[in-house]
Amino acid sequence: MKKSIFMRVVAMMLTVALMLGAISVTASAAGISDSIGSYKNEKGSSPTLDEMKNLMTTKTYEDYILEKLSGENDPARTQIAINTSSADKFGDNFTNEVKVSDSDEVQASIKGSSANWESFTKEDGEKSWFLPSVNPDGSAGVAEWRFDVDKPGFYTIEIDYYDCIVDADTYIDENGNFVEIKTKSSVSAIERKLRIDGVVPFDEVGSITFDKHWRYDYVTTSDPYEVPASARPFTEIGSYAEYVQIAEGEGAGYYKYVTTTKMEGDKMMQTLTTYKINQDINGNSMAPSAVAVSQWSTYTCKDPSGYSEGALKFYFSNGPHSISLEAIREPVIIKEIRLVPAEAPSIESESSGKMSYSNYIAAYDGVPTINAAPTIIEAEFPDLISDSSVTSTNDNTSAITYPISSKAQLYNVIGENSYSAMGQWAAYKFTVSETGLYKLGARFKQDTLQGMFICRAVKLAGGQYGTVPDAPFDEAYRVRFGYDEEWQSEYMGFYSYEYDSEGNKVLDDNGNPVQNKTEIELYFEKGVEYTLYFECSLGDLKDYIRRVETALDVINECYLRILKRTGAEPDKNQDYSFLDYMPEVLVKLLEQSKELTNVADELEALCGTNGSHIATLDTIARILTLMGSDGGEKIAENMANLKSYLGTLGTWINSSKSSSLMLDSIYVVPADSDENAIPNAKANFFESIWFEISSFIYSFFTDYDKMGLTEETSEGDAAVSVWLAMGRDQSQIWRSMIDATGGFTDTYGKGVALKLVTAGTLLPSILSGKGPDVYLGLSSGEVINYAIRDAIIGISGNAANLTAEQNAVFTNYYYMDANGNEIVREKALTAAEMEAQGLISVSNGYDYATREAIFAPAAMKTLRLCDVAYGIPMTMSFAMMFYRMDVLGNLGVEIPKTWDELIGALPALQASNMTIGVSYVSALDFMIYQMGESMWKYENGDEYDSRWAGAEINLDSNIALEAFERVCSFYTEHSLPVSFDTANRFRTGEMPITVGDYISIYNSLVVFASEIGGLWQFGTLPGSGKGETYNNDSLASVTATVLLNGCQKKGNDTLLAAWQFAQWQTSREIQASYGNSIVALIGPAAKYETANKLAINDLSWTASEKAAISEQMANMDAIVNYPGSYIIARYMKFAFLDAYNDGTPPQEAMKRYVGAINTELTRKRAEFGDFLFNVEDDLEEGQSVPKLDQ
Amino acid sequence: MSQAETKTVEKNRPLRRDEMSKLQWTWKEMKRNKTAYFMLFPFLILFIVFTVLPVLLSMFFSLTDFNMLQTPNMKGLDNYIRLFLEDEIFILAIQNTLIFACITGPVSYILSLLVAWFVNELPPKIRAVVTLVFYAPSISGQVYLIWKTLFSSDSYGWANATLMDLGLITAPILWFEDAAYVMALCIVVALWTSLGTAFLSFIAGFQTVDRSMYEAAAVDGIKNRWQELWYITLPTMRPQMMFGAVLAITNSFGFGGVVTALCGFPSVDYAAHTIMHHLDDYGGQRYEIGYASAIAVVLFIMMFASNILVKKALSKVGE
Repeated sequence: MKKSIFMRVVAMMLTVALMLGAISVTASAAGISDSIGSYKNEKGSSPTLDEMKNLMTTKTYEDYILEKLSGENDPARTQIAINTSSADKFGDNFTNEVKVSDSDEVQASIKGSSANWESFTKEDGEKSWFLPSVNPDGSAGVAEWRFDVDKPGFYTIEIDYYDCIVDADTYIDENGNFVEIKTKSSVSAIERKLRIDGVVPFDEVGSITFDKHWRYDYVTTSDPYEVPASARPFTEIGSYAEYVQIAEGEGAGYYKYVTTTKMEGDKMMQTLTTYKINQDINGNSMAPSAVAVSQWSTYTCKDPSGYSEGALKFYFSNGPHSISLEAIREPVIIKEIRLVPAEAPSIESESSGKMSYSNYIAAYDGVPTINAAPTIIEAEFPDLISDSSVTSTNDNTSAITYPISSKAQLYNVIGENSYSAMGQWAAYKFTVSETGLYKLGARFKQDTLQGMFICRAVKLAGGQYGTVPDAPFDEAYRVRFGYDEEWQSEYMGFYSYEYDSEGNKVLDDNGNPVQNKTEIELYFEKGVEYTLYFECSLGDLKDYIRRVETALDVINECYLRILKRTGAEPDKNQDYSFLDYMPEVLVKLLEQSKELTNVADELEALCGTNGSHIATLDTIARILTLMGSDGGEKIAENMANLKSYLGTLGTWINSSKSSSLMLDSIYVVPADSDENAIPNAKANFFESIWFEISSFIYSFFTDYDKMGLTEETSEGDAAVSVWLAMGRDQSQIWRSMIDATGGFTDTYGKGVALKLVTAGTLLPSILSGKGPDVYLGLSSGEVINYAIRDAIIGISGNAANLTAEQNAVFTNYYYMDANGNEIVREKALTAAEMEAQGLISVSNGYDYATREAIFAPAAMKTLRLCDVAYGIPMTMSFAMMFYRMDVLGNLGVEIPKTWDELIGALPALQASNMTIGVSYVSALDFMIYQMGESMWKYENGDEYDSRWAGAEINLDSNIALEAFERVCSFYTEHSLPVSFDTANRFRTGEMPITVGDYISIYNSLVVFASEIGGLWQFGTLPGSGKGETYNNDSLASVTATVLLNGCQKKGNDTLLAAWQFAQWQTSREIQASYGNSIVALIGPAAKYETANKLAINDLSWTASEKAAISEQMANMDAIVNYPGSYIIARYMKFAFLDAYNDGTPPQEAMKRYVGAINTELTRKRAEFGDFLFNVEDDLEEGQSVPKLDQ
Repeated sequence: MSQAETKTVEKNRPLRRDEMSKLQWTWKEMKRNKTAYFMLFPFLILFIVFTVLPVLLSMFFSLTDFNMLQTPNMKGLDNYIRLFLEDEIFILAIQNTLIFACITGPVSYILSLLVAWFVNELPPKIRAVVTLVFYAPSISGQVYLIWKTLFSSDSYGWANATLMDLGLITAPILWFEDAAYVMALCIVVALWTSLGTAFLSFIAGFQTVDRSMYEAAAVDGIKNRWQELWYITLPTMRPQMMFGAVLAITNSFGFGGVVTALCGFPSVDYAAHTIMHHLDDYGGQRYEIGYASAIAVVLFIMMFASNILVKKALSKVGE
């Protein structure tokens, strides 16, 4: 990547803008600064030192409120509505003014080049604003609104938004260029950075999240029909649900029927809604796919971490102000922003600002008791969910979880790990049969947070509760679910302390305050459809977790300061005199020890027990006391312990924040019901025994190979057989994507037999002739290994071992007309021609130019041998650089752009006992390419000329030897560690810069070191070169989708089907959809490294991450695989270890092995000479075979 | 009695052993013991299909250029010629294997024997516990990976951290990636895990010795425990000793997995590259099954030969 002067200038401007921004805060009364809006995140730019330092000095909501509390709070304020469509109030820099209608059919299908965004306007002329996540130029989408405030005071912010599903696509414009629209929705929530008057007012709104709405695809609703007059007297207005389980035969499955009856004029109309979870041929439930439900919703600006409940309050003085939203993830449509006057916040009260439960219930005093049948809600059938990853699942631990089967795994509960992150919710619609007060009962299991409880916020919408779901009273945020290893059945309620007449807490015999549970009662009206939202919340735990989090920050800081003095391996016998050098650190350690002990004691009192979860805090407190006392004498010997406890504490916070709960059913019962009105928690002895025995017996008769197969897909006559060696989850996602509406089978009318195999099965299967047609995820080295042995089919239309007819399958373009007839063309039709003839494309011809627009050329290179392509890239991974912004900012170290800068920064780090981690295996390879050489010697630079390609290694060239020596010097001269635990050292800050495979490091950091989330970033590799021009190429490591020689024998139909499948499977939509599904299913640590560079844009990376990955992808090379390639890495490693271990001069060490490598290459070439290298035939007059034996 | 009758009697008389060919005799014996053969049959099938056949097959493939995916071509003795004359790494592998086998084989064998003897002297209850302690490393699967932690290349590894603490080294040593340490470490680990099945069979062997033989020997003038061991105990348990020896040999020749797990594949500069690894290299990585089969045949012959040697040596026990 060559950094232009322009980029430098922009970076300068950025710094200036930041400073101006800072000035504008102090001068906010004077109006808004003109420079607002120049903070656009430049593509691929890494944060500057100032930005990193700013990260260290952040402001919390509490600080903000304290600062603003003295401001005037005019009592006569009114709501300020900012209509986003009033264009005159937009900033000049607002680039993408795409207008989208807000009718129900909004499907912002945006097509057009970057200069020509098609605009949408609602019929009546009202406009809403489409805010893309990424501008066409690659910067993050920003929109800004300016307005005047006439009466100063605190306001809450409400935003009307539409969680649009934008289906933008790539297309070829009239000049034949690929144009990509970078805005496309994925499963991620919509995230924006909120700025007021150009600055983020406090940390909590640095990233605000607008929920998307999802439902499962198992719902069908009938057309409304009129209830005949004769039946009317027996039919009630309202809706009721019925659950039916059909065990055997046609239509077997588990159903929920909801009949809704309402009056339309004088007609009584009924609709029937059916919910059915699909089952495979063994009767196991199959995961429904989540479908996005786009709808207009109102977002009230709140704290996404869950520490503050209710709406956040913002202070606006008199005069002009601005609000801006900068995209972090996902596009959104915004209609209106409202500033709603609010009471001045009080610091002492933890209240959400809602009325208390006693006030709520007082309003219904005297409501007569009712006698109504309970409304049962089966939790596995949510009507709406906030996140596509909230999934129903199977529980087999109790015989009375409904429904249950000893033969198959039925979905009968919702939640556990998939339903535990703050703010996630599941919503249920229900009606009651009588008007009155009701209690909520639940059968649930909470067995993850040992000895503690988790909380859910109960929110309601519908009827008198309004359309925006909200907690009806303050205590509804704190509904507790206690710990038990078994199922529990209870009425939902909150706990409060008992106070005596003097206002002191009443203590029990153990000295703990007495807590009383209040079962919440809610008022529902007959026939009204309510929606009940269960939202994950921190509830009563929030203060404790926040205190531990603060303590962790302080301890971490202490650790780093001690580390700077002692190094990672302190000498126990040395006197470090901590008391003289850093007395405050000792004090802090003792303070935090006390704080953790206090938290543990209070939590113990709150929970009533001391589970292992709470005991963790005591253990850590003990070691802190030990280290802090006696002038720090014990610090040296306990450093290693402290390091591991820092990790433990981080894990403690994470697990406390994740409120995992399994829900079987929810009961809405009249308020005066007793315990018998809700179902049993535990099965009785005989039920359990019978269930266990029958499950055991049935386990012998279940064909586990057929897991996930349905009637249609299990038949032997599937058009194409596909194998994959991945996990079961991955395999299930592929299965459901193939079968989904609009999936492969639906589109092409061809069945797919998908089989999950263990790695290593492929080879024997080919040998025995029972191999698949398509294999997913074969590493590029293996692809070439198989290809030279004739086991994989060349797909570029020029394979020597295919007939002309077979080759044509890969070069022809196949279309289907309206009648389903196949039309074959040798050249691609233009979009206009296709439309004129009513054709749809079903298979494209292989050509490098088109493919290279979709996949990185480097990835294509690894699958190509002697000008024949042997597979389509599926995944591509490569090395990138990860850095800790807080640590570097603290030390004043800039993000290195070149290796010289990186080595230059090393002394500063090493002075603080820190270091840099570089994986030598990948560094040895990419350094050669960065210095402008290739791994192979080529005649005329042609990588695919079969006469020379791969014949001779280039490691003995001057530049390659120099590159090798340079990498060795990192370890020998500059003492970088050769072997290290990346995640652990990066987390503690000992290794603030590390270079390695981006996907594996990202995935491990995101779960393993989640407490440092937001403190690190990754960017392109450091480059080789001087000054402005440097080369930061990374090397691709690729797995591919390949076609095996079996389908060649089965005929051209199979060949075409396999080719179509391979194209479909590696297409942008499918790769993006797979990548998003796997994250939804497994979690954020399952990020998928697709090789499709267009699909990267649709995955749930943040804008800056996307920019970094795309930039690295643009600077990419690969080592081409030739027969015998395996020997290179082996001998390079040997040479490196010789240089490192024995101090052999690096160049000499490398040269020793060059001969051996070339001999092996020659031998392998000779083995496959007949097939690939027609050396003798192709030699022209006067040419000679390259010299190989040196 | 007419001559014809005599002839008939002659005819009906069972033939004597010396009147039959060896084949006839075998067939007759087989018919006589048909129940035994019938009972042996299932094992025989499995043995032939899964042991004899693969050995024969690999002997055949060693004469071809089979690559797992394509039809093999006959190559004659090419593979063997290349193996012994061109392949330097194979010679290195033989060298390593022999060093390995010569150290770990006898040492682990003697160690097993001595420990078993010692354990056998203990009271039964304690014996059970001690047996488990010695046997545990070899049954606990991949427990040898603990050595990987002990000798981790990271500066946080135990050995490195200790040495750095003591000020003996300044930079971490890459224990399993430094040719100077690899072989020695692998031998130590091999010995540690070697008290396996052979050790158990020795213990069983010690138990089977008839006590009365010791009494008889005492009468015959045995002077000390060594003589008891050499003249009574060991000759009596010769079958177990043979079993243990075969195991020790196969283990020491086939000790590949542990090295791979500890040092990676291949080990640095082929420092711990044994014939097993060479076989893996060609069979698994380079898909040269023909060549790998030749390696396997050589390994087979080496094991076979050392078995005969050991058998000879064991027959001298007690003499």
